[in-house]
Amino acid sequence: MRVVVRTVSELCITAGALIVLFVAYVLFWTGVKADTVMDDQIDQLQQQWSQGSVRQPKVTAGASASPARPAPYRSEKPFAIMYIPRLGFTWNKPVLEGTQVGTLKKGLGHYANTAQLGQPGNFSVAGHRRTYGDPFKDFPRLRRGDAVVLTDGTTWFTYRIDKGPYKTVPSDIEVIDPVPRKSGYTRPGRYLTLTTCDPEWGHSHRLIVWAHLDSTQPVEDGKPVALRR
Amino acid sequence: MYGWIWRHLPGSAWVKALLSLMLVVAVVYVLFQYVFPWAEPLLPFNDVTVDNQ
Repeated sequence: MRVVVRTVSELCITAGALIVLFVAYVLFWTGVKADTVMDDQIDQLQQQWSQGSVRQPKVTAGASASPARPAPYRSEKPFAIMYIPRLGFTWNKPVLEGTQVGTLKKGLGHYANTAQLGQPGNFSVAGHRRTYGDPFKDFPRLRRGDAVVLTDGTTWFTYRIDKGPYKTVPSDIEVIDPVPRKSGYTRPGRYLTLTTCDPEWGHSHRLIVWAHLDSTQPVEDGKPVALRR
Repeated sequence: MYGWIWRHLPGSAWVKALLSLMLVVAVVYVLFQYVFPWAEPLLPFNDVTVDNQ
């Protein structure tokens, strides 16, 4: 009898310790790991760019709204860095191709088969609300007019948010259409869609914001206005 | 269970304490490195995309 009681209580303590450890892992350790991995991805990108392996498309005068078409992105590889001043002045995350679970652990994920950065269509990106560095924790604070700035190493792209955060259900794939339904856009254009989960720790809904391409400039011209302090 | 482990560890009380500490560290390492990364995607925090691509 004593042995049984002792074993059961020991098992309870073990289960409790396991749960506490798991919570610590999800809340804290995934963030630590993700920060390292994301910094790594950004370093990789910056190294690539400084070596000039990205071919410099000659941006001709007057063509500022239509930069040269980039090469297809390689799956699960970073290709751009995103800055959103509203989420913090130091907030910057790598954008990787694809939205698989493993890819989203390393940064934001670009929906394969949506438009490329700065191209006509809808450049759509998903990111974690919580865990893995909490990239989109403050997603509901985004407002109309906020800047979403991206760079692919040769060009700065400044998008301006037009609508959101808009709450929808996970099956609503029309939010990443070239002309997203419910976005208020009526004509084809160069759009950006960000998606994350809602509620913060849940998966019943998704939060969406939409933006349009406001301006582009070559990196040689320095940071865009939205990123200047 | 823990008493059984304690009794089966060799050495004096100090050595036993050290060995149990190492066991705990090893278990935590295995959990963080292998078990939790496997278990975490089963929870809903990863669902941030529309249509679950």
